[in-house]
Amino acid sequence: MNVQSNSYTFIYASVMVLIVAATLAFTATQLQPIQQANIEKEKKQNILTSVGIECSRDEAVDKYKEYITSTYVINSKGEAIDGEAFNIKLAEENRKEIEERQLPIYKCNKDGKNFYIIPVRGKGLWGPIWGYIALEGDYSTIFGIVFDHKAETPGLGAEIATGWFQAPFKGKKIFDEAGKLVSIVIAKGGADPNSLHEVDAISGGTITCKKLEKTLFESLIPYESYFKKNNK
Amino acid sequence: MAKLKNLLTDPMNLNNPITIQVLGICSALAITVKLEPAVVMSISVLFVMAMANVIISLLRNTIPTRIRIIVQLVVIAFLVIIVDQVLKAFLYDVSKQLSVFVGLIITNCIIMGRLEAFALGNKPFPAFLDGLGNSAGYGVILIAVAFIRELLGFGTIWGFKVIPQPVYDFGYSDNGLMILPPMALIVVGVIIWIQRSKTKELIEN
Amino acid sequence: MEMINIFVKSIFIDNMVFAYFLGMCSYLAVSKTVKTSAGLGLAVIFVMVITVPVNYFLENFVLKKGALEWLGPQYMEVDLSFLSFILFIAIIAAMVQLVEMIVEKFAPALYSQLGIFLPLIAVNCAILGASLFMQEREYANIGEATSFAVGSGIGWFLAIVGLAAIREKIKYSQVPGPLRGLGITFIVTGLMGIAFMTFMGIEL
Repeated sequence: MNVQSNSYTFIYASVMVLIVAATLAFTATQLQPIQQANIEKEKKQNILTSVGIECSRDEAVDKYKEYITSTYVINSKGEAIDGEAFNIKLAEENRKEIEERQLPIYKCNKDGKNFYIIPVRGKGLWGPIWGYIALEGDYSTIFGIVFDHKAETPGLGAEIATGWFQAPFKGKKIFDEAGKLVSIVIAKGGADPNSLHEVDAISGGTITCKKLEKTLFESLIPYESYFKKNNK
Repeated sequence: MAKLKNLLTDPMNLNNPITIQVLGICSALAITVKLEPAVVMSISVLFVMAMANVIISLLRNTIPTRIRIIVQLVVIAFLVIIVDQVLKAFLYDVSKQLSVFVGLIITNCIIMGRLEAFALGNKPFPAFLDGLGNSAGYGVILIAVAFIRELLGFGTIWGFKVIPQPVYDFGYSDNGLMILPPMALIVVGVIIWIQRSKTKELIEN
Repeated sequence: MEMINIFVKSIFIDNMVFAYFLGMCSYLAVSKTVKTSAGLGLAVIFVMVITVPVNYFLENFVLKKGALEWLGPQYMEVDLSFLSFILFIAIIAAMVQLVEMIVEKFAPALYSQLGIFLPLIAVNCAILGASLFMQEREYANIGEATSFAVGSGIGWFLAIVGLAAIREKIKYSQVPGPLRGLGITFIVTGLMGIAFMTFMGIEL
């Protein structure tokens, strides 16, 4: 058979594409339920980590039931609307106008205190970054925070997912004294130790940090009126 | 037999993929800030390259020349995606580590380069050894660069502090410049310098 | 206005070579003389300008979740994004070989200049990088995606021509023997990268 002929080339390419596409589609559909379950467990684990509850991924399902007392969905005016908070895909919501977004809140009860966990999501340097912020009852003080990312540079931007970067967020406030939403500034070259709104950036991970700062601010804005309304 | 052995040992020094063949530089820059990702990347490349070399070598007489590049790339991408999908389902933690590298493995020109240069013209077993040898040679440089950068940039090895506190008290500080990507280039440049000083026949004119 | 912004940004601030270190292998290997590197640079611009818009269509009408809606509402939920890597790279490789064949047939003079560089481009990670950035940054329309592609291509072109010019001059310098050739090229690129970092973080 003439390996170089046009028809052979064409058939070869078609058969290859068919085999590859079929195998990929098959594995993708077969494995999707298991992958989906893993992702859900991890989401629950992340939500719990933001309030300082450490557990394995498999324990997360039970612990989530135990600690997360209720979830609700609000809109940017701060009114409760219908919807299941856990199933909301932030990536899709972020594409909508702020007024139309569904905004999830997870209420957590730990050691007799209530915490309000809100998800954040945005773009990093190479791919999406996301996380959960646990706020105390005043809707301003950060009780805990957790970030994750898809593809930030290992050792640099990827450090946002590590404890040493996240720990300083605890105790910071997202509103200033005048009641203005300032979010958290990730200060390159070191944060002012007296500031309630600054944390240290990662050296070498400047772009990721800038994007994270933007992500935080833009994810908090839609919640602003709800926070103000409820913080009496 | 000696020839087969050379397939494994040459890429370590005389025919190193990074310092001599200039392949796989992009990933060498992206992930050598710390030791751990460098090791993960080396292992992933080892696996993908050995498999891809064998597959292409088995197919070598059937591939039409005009579409060989597409065939090679599809085989690489296919392998990587399958591995990633399976890991995502069954070894979720490993897959989270790997997911960052998926794109980097596919575009790693070292795999493509060896497919084109070796697997297309050789039998599966030598191709397998060639894959192992080259990915090991690649890994050695990667790990060496990551070792230097992590040590000087963070004062740690594999995340553990190795430079004792008194040294810092004495006025030493970590070199922040080492963390930036351009320094990977300069470290590789210095490694080439050392290698060629030892092996004179590699010197270019 | 947005298009000019993206264009300038992708040449200088988001330079493929110096900001993201993509396309390094061919960058280092094919920068011995200004003439050949200009040839490769042009080929990269050319392939980028073709593949990014094609992949943009692919992303928005086939791969993205809900992208298949034009086939009918029942396809709204189909998400083929797990195929994006393999399709992008296949498009790039196909385009490279198509361009190779067309140029060979209709412009033999250009082919003899570009010819050997074209196959190299398929594995140039700057090209795949451009498509993946296009996917990630979700450009609003095909115009923005194209101006991003042109800008990134020109940025890569400038970088390789700049390095080649330096290498031509270095030939007349006293470089230590073992460092000659590849070694000094790595170090020069590192220094150029540090210089380009001054552009980083500039907002347009």
